[in-house]
Amino acid sequence: MNLKQDMHAIGAIARREVKRLVEKPIYFFCMLIAPAISVIFFISLMRQGLPTDLPIAVVDLDNSATSRNLIRQLDAFEQTAVVMQTLSFTEARQEMQRGKIYGIFYIPADFAVEASTGKQPRLSFYTNATYLIGASLLFRDMKTMSVLASAAVGLQTGMAQGYTNDQIMGQLQPIVVDTHAIGNPWLNYSVYLNNTIIPGILQLLIFLITVFSIGTEIKFSTSREWLQMGRHNLAVSLLGKLLPHTIIFTTVGFMICAVLYGYNSFPLNTGWLPMLTAMFLLVISSQAVGVFMIGVLPTLRLGLSFASLFGMLSFSIVGFSFPVQEMHPTLQALAQLFPLRHYFLIYVDQALNGRELFYTWTEYAWLLGFLILPVLIGRNLKDALMYFKYIP
Amino acid sequence: MKKENKLWQTIKEGIEDTFFIWKEELKRVFQDSGVMIFFFLVPLAYPVLYAFIYNNEVAREAKMVVVDQSDSFLSREFIRRVNATPDVQIVGVCSDMEEAKKMVDEKKAYSILLFPSEFSKDLHTGKQTTVSLYCDMSALLFYKAFLLSATEVSLDLGKEFVARNNPASTEELQQITINPIPYESVTIFNTQNGFASFLVPAILILVIQQTLILGIGMLGGTARERNRFRSLVPINKHYVGTLRIVLGKSLTYIVLYGVVCLWTLAIVPRLFHLPQVGIPGTVLLFILPYLFACIFLSITLSGLMKSRESPMLVFVFSSVILLFISGISWPETAIPEFWRIVGYLFPSTPGIQGFVRISTSGATLNEVTHEYQTLWLQAGVYFITACLVYRKQIIRTRKLVSKQHRLMKQHLQQVRISS
Repeated sequence: MNLKQDMHAIGAIARREVKRLVEKPIYFFCMLIAPAISVIFFISLMRQGLPTDLPIAVVDLDNSATSRNLIRQLDAFEQTAVVMQTLSFTEARQEMQRGKIYGIFYIPADFAVEASTGKQPRLSFYTNATYLIGASLLFRDMKTMSVLASAAVGLQTGMAQGYTNDQIMGQLQPIVVDTHAIGNPWLNYSVYLNNTIIPGILQLLIFLITVFSIGTEIKFSTSREWLQMGRHNLAVSLLGKLLPHTIIFTTVGFMICAVLYGYNSFPLNTGWLPMLTAMFLLVISSQAVGVFMIGVLPTLRLGLSFASLFGMLSFSIVGFSFPVQEMHPTLQALAQLFPLRHYFLIYVDQALNGRELFYTWTEYAWLLGFLILPVLIGRNLKDALMYFKYIP
Repeated sequence: MKKENKLWQTIKEGIEDTFFIWKEELKRVFQDSGVMIFFFLVPLAYPVLYAFIYNNEVAREAKMVVVDQSDSFLSREFIRRVNATPDVQIVGVCSDMEEAKKMVDEKKAYSILLFPSEFSKDLHTGKQTTVSLYCDMSALLFYKAFLLSATEVSLDLGKEFVARNNPASTEELQQITINPIPYESVTIFNTQNGFASFLVPAILILVIQQTLILGIGMLGGTARERNRFRSLVPINKHYVGTLRIVLGKSLTYIVLYGVVCLWTLAIVPRLFHLPQVGIPGTVLLFILPYLFACIFLSITLSGLMKSRESPMLVFVFSSVILLFISGISWPETAIPEFWRIVGYLFPSTPGIQGFVRISTSGATLNEVTHEYQTLWLQAGVYFITACLVYRKQIIRTRKLVSKQHRLMKQHLQQVRISS
């Protein structure tokens, strides 16, 4: 009988919550518009996967057929575009400081002559690591070009001496490293970043909305009425209130998965179920963290500040750009407190690498573990809902 | 004569009111703990936190496991050298791929280096041989470390091996055969390829804009919640002119953010050894229009805020987008046209570009002319919009006040007539 009453109360509170959600446009914005903007932004920003035609300058002091050939070949690389040719290194450097180019390829005077007469002319290339992604991509292209240039000369000399191609390559580059980028052989940045950034934004918005929806009850003194509807049972009241959010956010989360793994066909090695489960768990664990935040700081603005700061921090501490293993040990421990961290680890294991569930189940357990948080702070939150006076 | 006097009077009054509003606004900032969080706590604590997170700059312990089917002198030498590179650490040598794969699955390693059984034999017979590198792609920095270290070692070892087997008459001749065109790569600016040096300066600049938007938005929302008619401006004789309100308030924020900027842009970079090759004077000159643009944009946006909490709900998530739109991580040339235009609406885009280039790449104002002009232009445009927002509010309030006044008058008359 009791259970039936509880269910009834949950339903009533949920209906009340839906009405509240519809009344305030801010909910519409944060739950639907903001995730949509983010998805469209990040997917369209990185739609090429890798930035192409990054601008570089060539300082060509040789200006021979060989050097011009080198420049043409360099320009033909997908990531590189030679946008400037100059005789002055200073000019090229200034162009770099202007942000117009990310790299400089330097061909010394008399390059062609010296190369063919065995005087070992030296090629140099410069990358501007202020722009880390651009710099590392250009580094790769310019390095390949330099190695190729060396090989071309070697090949010519070798052939003149009557060696076979195989023999010459055995001399020029005896050991080749054959790289296999597992899961992301295209080195696609969209795969690398968006699989975590977009769920991260969702997590941030869930924190904010959960804190906001409970905090406004306190601010406008409607919390008693809300608790009354749940017959003063906090669990029932919270369930009823957050249920509509859970449904909306889970739908949004699944849409995100659909965009990532359906529309974009990002790697999804173990099928849909593990990631959809992870997404659902990310939603409810983030809600639990949100409840905890407003429970700890029952003033709306302080709770929201907490949610904003914690939510923003997660993008860095989750370690998808800078690995957690390289951070300070304190931060490594702290990283565990972010639902997104566990979602990220699940993504790496399941979608990216297709590992057995055996290696990942602890991360699912962690996400479930966050659900304890509302229980821990329940007393505090209930006190706040009953007696807290909002001080503007 | 009389007219001149009147003008003089207005100016004097205007300046007095500006300072009155300045004082009032300062009081309101310090009374509001929510605003204090965004004006002080976040700009003070956040940069430190980010610098702390990225402080190691580069991946130093990328873990690698080796499957050595060759088990020869050369393969062991290869392994020893990879282990000796600063970025990679060999955590184990396995007998087969299965075992190695298991270690990667258990996250004990993030890549596998496989030597084929004919590795040594190929080399000794003068054939090209292949070493396979398998990388977990969860962290691109690790991938980079593995790839660079393995490639470097393979090139060096290969050259040495060839040189040893083909002795030439002189050292030089030897070098010419194995290395006809040497090359060198130089990283200029942010010379260690550091992650903190790359990202944190951009975050520092972004934090200034975002906290201003949040803080000023919050003040605007509060004003609307407190004032009569849910208006931005209180009914007070000092708050009568648009210019004095906008200038008075801006003065408050400029003074406060002078201190904040000193901390985030001068002290934090020094504490965490971020690149700081810019001339302080240049930085100062560049930051000035940035602050103006941010403040006027924030005042404009605060006009749209209906409650004190809405700025956080609306603007916090935009930080991630603005960081990417600035062109510091994702190269500017690869940003689609539409988003580049959107980026120009925010001071953070030219602000980040310009500051990073001044501070990390040692640009002078000459090299950031485009950004500098954009910032002044933004400051001008947003000043006008900020004034328009307050102008509208003042007129609206006046109308409502006079309407109420009229209603009260009518009411009084009716009372009088009926009595």
